[in-house]
Amino acid sequence: MSVPSRLRAPNPHLGAYYGIVTSAFVSLIVMLAMFEQLGWGRPLLAQTMMVVPLALYLVIAVGSRTLQADDFFASGRRVPPVYNGFVLAAIAVGGVGFLAYTGTVFFLGFDALAIGLGWTFGMFAAGVLFVPYLRKTGSYTLPSFLGHRFRSRSVRAAASVMQLPPTALLLVAEIKIAALIASLFLPVSFSLGVLMIAALIAAVAILGGMRSLTWTGSAQFLVGAVGLAIVVTTVSILLTNVPAPQLTYGGTFSALQNAEITAGVTPVQPGQLATALPGAAPLPVIKPFLQPFGVLGPVDFGSLFLCLALGTAALPSLLSRSGVTSSIAEQRRASAWGLLFVALFVMTAPAMAAFAKLIVFRDIALAPASSLPAWLTELGGKHLLQAGDVNGDGAIGAAELLFGRDGIALALPSAAGLPYVLTVLMATAAMAVALAASASHLFTLAASLADDLYRVLDRRQTLSRLTAAWAAIAASALAAAVFLLIADLDPLKTALLAFAFAASTFFPTLLLAIWWRRCTKWGAMAAMTTGFTVMLVEAVLGGAFGIGPAGFTTALTSLIGIVLALAAGVAVSLYFRQPSKAEDAYREEMRDPGGETIYDRARMRAAAAAAAASAAANASGQ
Amino acid sequence: MATEVPVNEHPARDRHQIQTLILAVAILSTVLLAVFFAVTAASSLNRFGFLHFPLGFYLLAQGLLIFIVAVAFWFIRLQERIDLARSESGELG
Repeated sequence: MSVPSRLRAPNPHLGAYYGIVTSAFVSLIVMLAMFEQLGWGRPLLAQTMMVVPLALYLVIAVGSRTLQADDFFASGRRVPPVYNGFVLAAIAVGGVGFLAYTGTVFFLGFDALAIGLGWTFGMFAAGVLFVPYLRKTGSYTLPSFLGHRFRSRSVRAAASVMQLPPTALLLVAEIKIAALIASLFLPVSFSLGVLMIAALIAAVAILGGMRSLTWTGSAQFLVGAVGLAIVVTTVSILLTNVPAPQLTYGGTFSALQNAEITAGVTPVQPGQLATALPGAAPLPVIKPFLQPFGVLGPVDFGSLFLCLALGTAALPSLLSRSGVTSSIAEQRRASAWGLLFVALFVMTAPAMAAFAKLIVFRDIALAPASSLPAWLTELGGKHLLQAGDVNGDGAIGAAELLFGRDGIALALPSAAGLPYVLTVLMATAAMAVALAASASHLFTLAASLADDLYRVLDRRQTLSRLTAAWAAIAASALAAAVFLLIADLDPLKTALLAFAFAASTFFPTLLLAIWWRRCTKWGAMAAMTTGFTVMLVEAVLGGAFGIGPAGFTTALTSLIGIVLALAAGVAVSLYFRQPSKAEDAYREEMRDPGGETIYDRARMRAAAAAAAASAAANASGQ
Repeated sequence: MATEVPVNEHPARDRHQIQTLILAVAILSTVLLAVFFAVTAASSLNRFGFLHFPLGFYLLAQGLLIFIVAVAFWFIRLQERIDLARSESGELG
């Protein structure tokens, strides 16, 4: 008799495997650095650096393929906390965080810190408020948890539908970032890049579901972390002589301020810049790095922080990983590890931005237009930076330097005069994190469509559980790719909208469902619908899909949505009858840290009952 | 006339839930208050330096993050102690 996979222990050789993966990647970097010195061409270097890790991810996905439902949807519930933390951090930061957050800190300096602080606090809040209870229930998806909590198929189906916008928006934003990188460094167009990325993440998700996402995601996190660490540490050594960028970039601030003043960057007044995030199109820098609340006033700063914090805490893609560890205690540790890794990235991104700004302004600003550094031409060719003597004074001022927000991190190694292999390394790192995040969003979206919506709507369940999931993954990846080929979206603003949707729709609902005994099915439905409707109105009328400017109104609207949703949930719960005994019993069991996972126990009982019925039928037949 | 005092059938469960609620509220409020203080006082704190950073900038860029991570690991220890107390009382009872 085979042992149920959830009872198997984690592979004791995981540390050795990932040590080998990391060592192999470092060896690849060293080899390519040597080949660059030996005269290898840049296209060949870029293709080797990017394609070898992609092949590795596919090999890991094939190696972790599965046909068992508990492996496919919950990774067998035996992922060690640190590895789950790797993937949680990759999902929370993603390619959008890696490139767009770094670029936003470059443009807004102090004011952009609200974003990183929001992610960090959100990871923390999720670990305290939601994650242990979702782990106890063991539900495979967030809508499934809500459906079981309230004993309601309608709540489950409604949650699945309302989960679509936040997950789908993050999915397209991450695919766009990955495709942009592919189009910059591989011989493919953006459209072909989109199709390739969609096919790759769909293949990973179809092969092993949550199991392959966990093990490829861990490798992708390590590639991202190693790539980022090598580049930023090298730049830190060049600029400060100390290999600790997070500690030393403060020492460059006086030089940075001087370079900004020389280039003509002067302090701005709060509200002067129409409170909007920098877009993806090339823009000049018009705010000093250290000026507090220059673009965002304290209220905008606070609303952006809270929107991202509560959106991260209730993000379906993060919460759906709550069931992959072996116990509640392990899941709490996984959340803390994820938080630690996110915090490390959030502390590193401002160092990257400060270094990039110092180098660019020191080397270019007010230099004669006729003798600009050679790397500028290279970055200009990739549309990462534009410089021109617009006013004809013979020098380049701050207003004549246009930077692509998402290209700042990629431009840093070239601007610092580092070998080309480190530019490609940074791109490979960003691509790895974007792939991990996009595959997780794709799986969360598709698993919910198949397990929550299809299984509720098709009572006969024509397709098996895994077949429905495979079909949903393929269809979702195709839909995301087609959408990206048609629509032009800004990854950062799209991600902000997704976090706002998650905050407004799911944060109040989960808060009431877990922490308030009196919350009823209709109360949860009212909370979810109210928050979702508020954000839908903002998305349509506020122009977040490109019709008009979106930005901090989105963050503020999501906070209004949360308050209204909480009020609606409480009012409707109090108006209707008390929760049923079954709902009460489920909630009490969910709050009990001991005992078995509720979902697994129910499955085992159902399997035992089916076996007993079958045995009885056989006996009566004989 | 003697008043009938309702008997609590699940003292360990109720104690566990109250302690868990108090811990969650206390720990989240502490961190939120720290964030609120750092945001509102950032401009004033920037007059002071720490590791070559303006203090207000440092708190938002690194200080609060380190604080949150430390509190998260500390929270796990406290919550596990509360959970253990419940499971032990369940075994005895």
